[in-house]
Amino acid sequence: MLARINSYALNGLDGYGVSVEVDIHAGLPGIEVVGLPDTAIKESRERVRSAIKNSGYDFTPRRITVNLAPAHTKKEGPNFDLAIALGILCCTEQAGVDEHRKPLDTVGEYTFLGELSLSGEVSKINGVMPMLIAARERGVKKIVVPSANANEARYIRGIDVYAVSSLKEAAALIDGKQSAPIEKSDIATCSATATKEDLKYVKGQYAAKRALEIAAAGGHNILMIGSPGGGKTMLAKCLPGILPDMTEEETLETTKIHSVAGILDAYSGIVTTRPFRTPHHTSSRIALTGGGSGARPGEVSFAHNGVLFLDELPEYPRAVLEILRQPLEDGVIAVSRAVRSVEYPANFMLVAGMNPCPCGYYGSAKHQCTCSPSQIQKYMSRISGPLLDRIDLHIEVDEVNYDDLTDKSDAESSAAVKDRVNAARAVQTERYKGTGVHSNSKMTGEMIKNYCALDSDGEKILQNAFDKLGLSARAYTRILKVARTIADLDGKSRISARHIAEAVMYRSLDKAVH
Amino acid sequence: MLLSDLYLWLSYSHVATSKINRIMDKMSPTELWDSFGKDTRYSLDEKTLGMLKRTHSAEFIERAKYYLDVNHVKYVTRADPAYPHALAQREVDPPPVLYYKGDLELTREKCLAVVGTRRATPYGKYVTRRLVGELAGQFAIVSGLAAGIDGFAHAAALDCGGKTVAVLGSGLFHASPASNLKMFDEICEKGLALTEYPPDTHATEYTFPQRNRIISGLSKGVLVIEADKGSGALITADCALEQGRDVFAVPGDIDKPMSFGTNRLIKSGGTAVTCARDIFEYYSVNLQDGRKRQKHVTLDFSEQRLLDILTAGEKTFDALVETCGMTVSEVNTALSSLLIYGLIHQKSKNLYCVSL
Repeated sequence: MLARINSYALNGLDGYGVSVEVDIHAGLPGIEVVGLPDTAIKESRERVRSAIKNSGYDFTPRRITVNLAPAHTKKEGPNFDLAIALGILCCTEQAGVDEHRKPLDTVGEYTFLGELSLSGEVSKINGVMPMLIAARERGVKKIVVPSANANEARYIRGIDVYAVSSLKEAAALIDGKQSAPIEKSDIATCSATATKEDLKYVKGQYAAKRALEIAAAGGHNILMIGSPGGGKTMLAKCLPGILPDMTEEETLETTKIHSVAGILDAYSGIVTTRPFRTPHHTSSRIALTGGGSGARPGEVSFAHNGVLFLDELPEYPRAVLEILRQPLEDGVIAVSRAVRSVEYPANFMLVAGMNPCPCGYYGSAKHQCTCSPSQIQKYMSRISGPLLDRIDLHIEVDEVNYDDLTDKSDAESSAAVKDRVNAARAVQTERYKGTGVHSNSKMTGEMIKNYCALDSDGEKILQNAFDKLGLSARAYTRILKVARTIADLDGKSRISARHIAEAVMYRSLDKAVH
Repeated sequence: MLLSDLYLWLSYSHVATSKINRIMDKMSPTELWDSFGKDTRYSLDEKTLGMLKRTHSAEFIERAKYYLDVNHVKYVTRADPAYPHALAQREVDPPPVLYYKGDLELTREKCLAVVGTRRATPYGKYVTRRLVGELAGQFAIVSGLAAGIDGFAHAAALDCGGKTVAVLGSGLFHASPASNLKMFDEICEKGLALTEYPPDTHATEYTFPQRNRIISGLSKGVLVIEADKGSGALITADCALEQGRDVFAVPGDIDKPMSFGTNRLIKSGGTAVTCARDIFEYYSVNLQDGRKRQKHVTLDFSEQRLLDILTAGEKTFDALVETCGMTVSEVNTALSSLLIYGLIHQKSKNLYCVSL
């Protein structure tokens, strides 16, 4: 007898239906899985055997063949355990049959996802959210997920989701002993979790704080250059607290990636705070971009719609930094492997920290730098021009004075800054409606022409700045984009001379004369 | 043999210039060449004798001349009238031959040496650009093509269309450091690069201090921008004193290692220089139309206020924000404008002061 159970598999962030066919026939007892399974699936026969036995069913000592159709795509992970076990139960007429041992039609209505433990419990799997979205789009009506994944499944509307915690519950479901689908909730009701660091605890550093505000408002990449102990890392950690709230669309996009990678918080089930990823400088290229045989997403994708913080930028291998160029430009990263080729979204804001020289004290007011010019040059040249080209704001962060540190009064809080940032983002969202651009940093050449028109005063000051400060040509569009954000923060629709003047201050690496 | 060929022989023998000059005190090059190897009338030590003997052939000198010619390296010997007069005095220890690329006439102009540490601070860079920017109009700027202040001095002189002379501590084919090679080519084209060493000579730790005497020798005075305790710039200043040249130094903070050398020079009698005018007045240079007048700019309220605060003393960005009572963005805007007008400059990271 043959049984056919629906399941789902992932290809990058997209899913496709997999039909699990189970056939039992005469032969040496054992289970054979075909249809390009990986090791995790091959091992599933051991899990399935124990789970069936320990759930109180009979495990038939006959030859069992399991086919995962379509047979030409490589399948991964333990997601099919539940479907295989149910297939065997249906085959042996222990589930999915009526009192006359006739197969029930309800079996075909459900799609099953879940990994089994030896005791017969259904445990958490990765990638539920993207699979649900893909299944909904392909017309699947009812889907069964592990109850541990129920929290993330709750936010997908238009599909009935059933949460099961054991093989027995799943069997009861197809037997028609109906359990109700889980209740849905709204993304909008989720509040962002509070961040740990607050700008009000950062003493002094007014210039840096202002630059962070501008960066957050316009989604600009920012580079902080400063001596050790200047507070670069602390400033960066404050950033999530002032970033604008995530829109529903952004939340779903980011949650999908986190779900696939299995880094989603099982309790909240959804990403409501902009991700803040801090890969260490020993991270490999694959860890950053994604890859591996399964073409899985990497840190740049985890940071989608959030912040990728690279502390001590020159310490990263050159090859690792150079691959950031494509995602910085296009907001996506293409991961191609022999098995599959996937494009993951990677629209992040790059925040980088670095010292001005190997010893860290070049240009410091308090310490003497001990580096030779060639050392400094070598250190700075680890960051290529094209990468610097994509960073809009450069700021210098200096050590803080003792007086500032011991100052008891609190500075402006993150919440107050965030209000201004949200207001500026709202202006941008309105301006770029329907263009696929969300923030000033992603403006195209044509948009710059339309929205960054300068009056004569503005042009004069920019001209002067280039002459006097020796700015390089690449600084030009960066200054315009940043000036646009400053104007948005100021609530002005046109860029004026003072916005340009302020924007010029954030190009310290371009200035020929220090 | 021509006298100039004999000087070339002495130069190519790689005997130290000071030793050659000591021998020359006793006899002329012609006497040395003629008597060479005939008897031991002139007591030379073994090593010097060996080195001179190695190149003691007319054929060798002809080959050397041909080699210089095909490689477009010009040279001038002490026998030539074109040899720089400034170097011809005994205290300078004049080299027998100068190899050069560029315009040798520059050595006849008023020259001023601008030297300093290789490990320049942002302050040193700023001061060099500022002073040289004005000085280059009246003087040819002589320096050593090294990293740090030397390089900035050449670059500043080239930028404002002035003349500059680079004195190398190696042969012309082995100019260093690599970071200044592009500038070296530009100097060969628009200025003058010269050295006492034959083109194929590599620099050693002895050649750099040696060329310092030529830097000071070519110049009327030596301006030291920044120097720490053991800086080569101090050697140049010492040479200048021995040769009767003037020594100028830019004063600096007493707690900064890079100001140690310059402050010591001032203490021991060097002239303190805070602006180019100090040097112009020292040499009674008449500037045709005075200093270029600052273009008059009208400052708005916040810019004027910041300028007033900074006139009272340098301030960090944080301190400015706290004292002036304006918002961060206003301070940023005003600072930026003042920087663009050239009324203030960034002394070091986030530290601003007025430009006088």
